[in-house]
Amino acid sequence: MGLFDVVFHGSDEMYALAETAVKETLEKIGEDAPVAFGSTAYYLACIKAYTGLEVTNMAQLRDALTPIRAMMTRNRRTADIFHSGIATVMAAEVIEACKYAVNPLPYGENENPNDNKYHGHMTDAEVRELGVPLVTRDIPGFVVLIDEAPTDEQAVALIKGYQSRGIFVFLLGGIIDQAMRKGVKMGFPVRVVPVGPDIIGVSHIISLVVRAAFIFGNIQPNDYVNMNRYTMDRIFAFVNAFSPVSDMTVACGAGAIAEGFPVITNEVKDMDWRVPKSLVINTDVDTWIDCSLEARGIKLKVTNIDVPVAVSSAFEGEIIRKGDMQLEADGSRKDCLELVRTKDVREIEDHKITLVGKDIDEFGVGEKICMATIVEVGGAKMQPDFEPVMERKIHSFVNCLEGIMHTGQRDLIRIRVSKAAFEAGFRMKHFGELLYAKIKNEYEAVVDKCQVTIYTEPEKVHELRIEANKIYDARDDRVSKLSDESVDVFYTCILCQSFSPSHVCIVTPERLGLCGAVSWMDAKATNQLDPNGPCQIVPKERVVDEEIGIWEDVNEAVQTYSHGALEQVSLYSIMQDPMTSCGCFECICGIEPFSNGVVIVNREHTGVTPVGMTFSELASMTGGGVQTPGFMGHGRHFIPSKKFMKAEGGLQRIVWMPKALKESVAEKLNANAKELYGIENFTDMIADETIVEGDPEALVAFLTEKGHPALGLEPMM
Amino acid sequence: MGFTAKAQVYKAAIQETVLGAGEKALTLGGARTQPLCAFDEAWKNAPAVGVEVSDIPFETAGLPALAAWYEGCGSFGDRVKKAAEMEGAKFICLHFEGADPGGENKSVEEIVALAKEAAAATDLPLVIAGCKNVEKDQALFSAVSDALPDRNPLFLSAREEDYKTIGAACAMANGHKVGAESAVDINLAKQLNVLMTQLGVPAAGIVMNLGSAAAGYGFEYVASTMDRVKAAALEQNDTMLQMPVITPVALETWSVKESIMSEADMPEWGSQEERAIEMEIVTASACLTSGSDAVILRHPESVKTIAAMIAALA
Repeated sequence: MGLFDVVFHGSDEMYALAETAVKETLEKIGEDAPVAFGSTAYYLACIKAYTGLEVTNMAQLRDALTPIRAMMTRNRRTADIFHSGIATVMAAEVIEACKYAVNPLPYGENENPNDNKYHGHMTDAEVRELGVPLVTRDIPGFVVLIDEAPTDEQAVALIKGYQSRGIFVFLLGGIIDQAMRKGVKMGFPVRVVPVGPDIIGVSHIISLVVRAAFIFGNIQPNDYVNMNRYTMDRIFAFVNAFSPVSDMTVACGAGAIAEGFPVITNEVKDMDWRVPKSLVINTDVDTWIDCSLEARGIKLKVTNIDVPVAVSSAFEGEIIRKGDMQLEADGSRKDCLELVRTKDVREIEDHKITLVGKDIDEFGVGEKICMATIVEVGGAKMQPDFEPVMERKIHSFVNCLEGIMHTGQRDLIRIRVSKAAFEAGFRMKHFGELLYAKIKNEYEAVVDKCQVTIYTEPEKVHELRIEANKIYDARDDRVSKLSDESVDVFYTCILCQSFSPSHVCIVTPERLGLCGAVSWMDAKATNQLDPNGPCQIVPKERVVDEEIGIWEDVNEAVQTYSHGALEQVSLYSIMQDPMTSCGCFECICGIEPFSNGVVIVNREHTGVTPVGMTFSELASMTGGGVQTPGFMGHGRHFIPSKKFMKAEGGLQRIVWMPKALKESVAEKLNANAKELYGIENFTDMIADETIVEGDPEALVAFLTEKGHPALGLEPMM
Repeated sequence: MGFTAKAQVYKAAIQETVLGAGEKALTLGGARTQPLCAFDEAWKNAPAVGVEVSDIPFETAGLPALAAWYEGCGSFGDRVKKAAEMEGAKFICLHFEGADPGGENKSVEEIVALAKEAAAATDLPLVIAGCKNVEKDQALFSAVSDALPDRNPLFLSAREEDYKTIGAACAMANGHKVGAESAVDINLAKQLNVLMTQLGVPAAGIVMNLGSAAAGYGFEYVASTMDRVKAAALEQNDTMLQMPVITPVALETWSVKESIMSEADMPEWGSQEERAIEMEIVTASACLTSGSDAVILRHPESVKTIAAMIAALA
């Protein structure tokens, strides 16, 4: 028998039971007898949801059988399985309704159903109690466990496993006796509810599902498509069914799949119809939890971080002195590194922390050790471009540990563990615990699974370092090859609008945010991680002038995100609609009229520039989101960019920078000046405060002596 | 040449949201002009004044007129009834300060009982303000929403930390209204509206509480935020900023020194009650000018004055 036949057979079986139940109940109490589950405003909710009928008495219940039968179509298409599955659940609801019509407390004498062996029907209040946390995702989802697990121990392990992950558990059939034998506490308050003795009770769970859709999704009765879309999109449920699985259970399972709830089972007989993430055959019951969560796409929040010291930003600046130090990993003396890598989700065991080599207590006090931290992450939406973004956060994550100091990144790190932290029980694995928790929480949107391996074995770390350096180089290469032309989109950044309300940064590969902290890659990651956040996609399809950097799309974005304050922006010009500045720019450049050039000064430099103004005086010309032609705030790394005031002639306009700033950008600036203009050692032609301060004439004299190209360019004004 | 007035009517409009139920139901929003500019287009719905009543009776030392107004009121219900009699009062704000775990820590059940008592005492629309404790407010709002299914109250406020629970329990489950509270930041205000609608709260169920400050205490930030919200809503048809704005003025002004320093301590400042009333009036009129569709006040004199101002501008 194939799966189609099993489903059809199961639904026939359930329907026959329903017919019999109605017939017998009619004989017993007559057709005017009321039918209700009590404490619900939704009648028999499954029937109402899928037929629109509001059943209140036995005659109506009998009549409801006709549309239920009609839904059990038999055309051997997937849709028939789904319709029959839903109809099977409705037939089950008919049977349950008959029980309640005869006796309002069919599952025990206690008024509070949590005191009875089986809970049965759930009230609207209970739907709401579970529905609110389901909507808010405080409860990440619920599971329906059906029939007897292979052993009592496995039953309990599954129930407790789900419970500890915050997943709400419903039980049907034999597993309830297994749980009772093992003394598992059950009831709505502990989030483990034994619903009924057999698969027929599933109608109470689906009743809860459709009522949640009525209440929270405003879904209308008899709207099959939208009901199932809502349950699929918003209700994170799934089914675990143990072998042997009855035909009726398979039929109800088809109904569950129709609503978007995957079924995981160890039944192999007659399961010839497999749909990835919908019907999952997995004979290893012990792996069902991870398998189920993945099938339903449920991600869990890590709430407590299992480390023996405090974790708080209050410890970020903590310094560990040599005398207080238990040991240190010093990247300048020993092989040390940190690396985040993307891996196939299936190859990652979530929350696996491994230590290769000696632990902290096996090293001598004050020893300098080798240490490599490899974080492997995976997820459907993970991209290798996010690796450096996450890797850079390791510094602030680890620094938040009390008694741990961290500086640097990549293979130039230094980590110190204090004696106090060591005595509190801090060991190598706790780095892993911390990174696991932080990365899972902070990058929830893209990281489904994460594992951490820490190496302290010197030879192994040495090998890893060589390997890691290849990766770092490849990354740098990729970033340096990124250009505004090579990408399809730019990003907005409005992080600082809280104090500069009309400022918008347009972040491009060759022009990072003016604060220096948001590169194009960062903006891309920020957008993916928080789609409603400060970084939004700006397409660059409608080009107006690529030379000056004008796109219609960019102008529209600037208009929208400045709330109408700005009309247009030229990305590569400081004269024509230059990009605005908030107040947090790293550097500011301004026209120096005598030399036809610009001076650039960074925030740290307090002296006066050749235009006669200091950084803060220049800043007052352009802050607050206004366009001031001739003045512009920007990031440090924008200086050597080929797009730096490209419209006015580019880098060759730079005539003055403070020495420290000049040195920090010299390498790339010289390289690009050579490429663009064939000038060797361009920075030598640029004056600094050691050559000239506030005197423009001295500046021109210096530039003339050096043959600076700006002197020969057209005036900017 | 004579002056020809040119009406500035936008194509977009502030969203209309109904508070309360029955004859006294109140509609906020609907304007297509800059705030209060009735000369550009007649108001669809006038801005509304509501009265704050706290479960903890107000301190009335130095405030004889306020004391007199509530004289003889024994219960919370009595005070609500009396508040509803203020001239110009269009809704009542039940402020459950006493639920604060750091204060009287009244239980959720006690608060529900008080809310029911208040609902029985007036048929004006109800606005429910919590105790500012995120955990407690979530439990409190959910329970009060369940207890007043047919009154269509507005819950102040859902914040970034608790909008999900309040949105789901009050707005989605019971169809009630939710105030989205942000702290004087247009982007956060918009983000919260986007997040709430994504959760499934209908846009028409959201009213914005953009945050406020007493006049003289950084109010210019409030004014500039409201200006920009209204500009985005009207000029750019930004639907995620078109929700009407409610400003709980009393909750700000009654904690500043002008309102609480006694005349004995500050004789040169004159009557404490006059000062307190003026703080309310000045702040409320500034809020309305900047774009609030509703303000919440405490003193009968301020309620009367602001209601008269609104009537005069209609």
